[in-house]
Amino acid sequence: MNDWKRILIAVDQSQTSIKALSYTADITSNLSDAELCLLYIYPEPPPNYYSSGGSLSDYQQQKTAAAEVIFQNSMELLEKYALGEKVTTRCKMADHITISQAVLEVQAEGKFGTVVVGKRGVSKAEEFLFGSISNGIVHHCHDFTVWVVG
Amino acid sequence: MEYALDKLPQRLHGRLRHHRVTRSLRRPPQFFTDTSNFTAIDYGDIIAIDDRFLLVTGYTREGRFGIDEQVKPWVPRVEDLESEEKFILKLVFHETFDMQFGQFTINCYRNPEKEARVLELVKGHPHFMQGRSILDEANNLVRILDIVNGNRLDKFIHRGELSHQEYFYQKFPEVMRQFLKCVKGIQFLHENDLRHGDIRRDHIFVDRDTGLYIWIDFDYDFYMPERPFALDLYELGNILTYLTARARFHEKDILMHPDMGRAVLDTIVPGDLSVLSKNRIVNLKKLFPYIPDRLNNILLHFSHGTEVFYETVAELHDELGEALTVLG
Repeated sequence: MNDWKRILIAVDQSQTSIKALSYTADITSNLSDAELCLLYIYPEPPPNYYSSGGSLSDYQQQKTAAAEVIFQNSMELLEKYALGEKVTTRCKMADHITISQAVLEVQAEGKFGTVVVGKRGVSKAEEFLFGSISNGIVHHCHDFTVWVVG
Repeated sequence: MEYALDKLPQRLHGRLRHHRVTRSLRRPPQFFTDTSNFTAIDYGDIIAIDDRFLLVTGYTREGRFGIDEQVKPWVPRVEDLESEEKFILKLVFHETFDMQFGQFTINCYRNPEKEARVLELVKGHPHFMQGRSILDEANNLVRILDIVNGNRLDKFIHRGELSHQEYFYQKFPEVMRQFLKCVKGIQFLHENDLRHGDIRRDHIFVDRDTGLYIWIDFDYDFYMPERPFALDLYELGNILTYLTARARFHEKDILMHPDMGRAVLDTIVPGDLSVLSKNRIVNLKKLFPYIPDRLNNILLHFSHGTEVFYETVAELHDELGEALTVLG
């Protein structure tokens, strides 16, 4: 089992992501040896993106810029808990895999013991069609803990 | 504008002049090596591609969104003037549109490159339309498709004057055996990271000679990063439901049915309806009690009441294979 205090937090622009981040900060602010990594995963561009003249590097630049804003906002929140120095960031495209699979890849590479995700609360139909990242991670978690923050 | 007779090899002039299509033309046939503006290409014109001279002999049609069959000008029927072989061409048309699935709208588009990849992958596969892709002079990815001689599956199953019960016991087991091979075909696509994209009951043809079920039309695509194959899976469930009931059943259909009516309709609860289409019944055992539980349980995976969805087509395929054993 990986060290639970190595914590990977999936972040995006949503309110549930902020809740997940605040929850994690509450728990870890008194831990001297916690290490946090903010992770922003974005999907591949839609296939018709290329036919309309877009390039992968333009797309990745846009997403990286969006990630920077998310990281900056997240850091502001974490600094209120004096956690700023313990935080690293990672931005990655889910390349030929789903977003939940990409989160799991980063978890495995970094040997994170805890993964934190927000949960949107989707309907059954929505989950069938569009999936649920938190469910995808929970279904495939081995040797680490998942915190699903609703 | 280039005229066909100015560009065609001399040896083909006679064939063009005397072809049934050009005999009645009131204008000289034109000659195209660039298919970018496909609306300019008309009946009787020549498309020169792949060292072939293809005479446009007609256009395919398709019904969609409840609208009657519409001509698809980017999908002409053609005949090779030299060999007299007949094909369907698919010209590049980057159409995007929204499709409604229950309360959700999904952005769909035509993706010629994806269709080309599917054609390459399924070369020689008996349950997929065959064809190849080639660039025209302007680098448009034209797909040259072999014509499937046969009938739409959803028409095929209505042959004969059979009651549903007769259909279910006499015809349905063989329909399922063939459909199962189509499901396996979609599993094969997914395992190779490709979607069909437009799974519908009129996109399976039953080959007139071999009786094999054959998927057609692979150019639709959609963008669903977390569940890239969910729509294919859902639509397979829809076809399965249709093949089982030999119809779509909405609440009003139950009410109008001479053997069902109000008594059956009153047994229907929200959990019996489709997960995405809230007025379509998928718990068919309530309508046809002789449907075995094993098959009905598969249908219920696509219901609003389900607790468990199929994650992959492989799961659906395996359970359907097991259900077939009780159908005989």
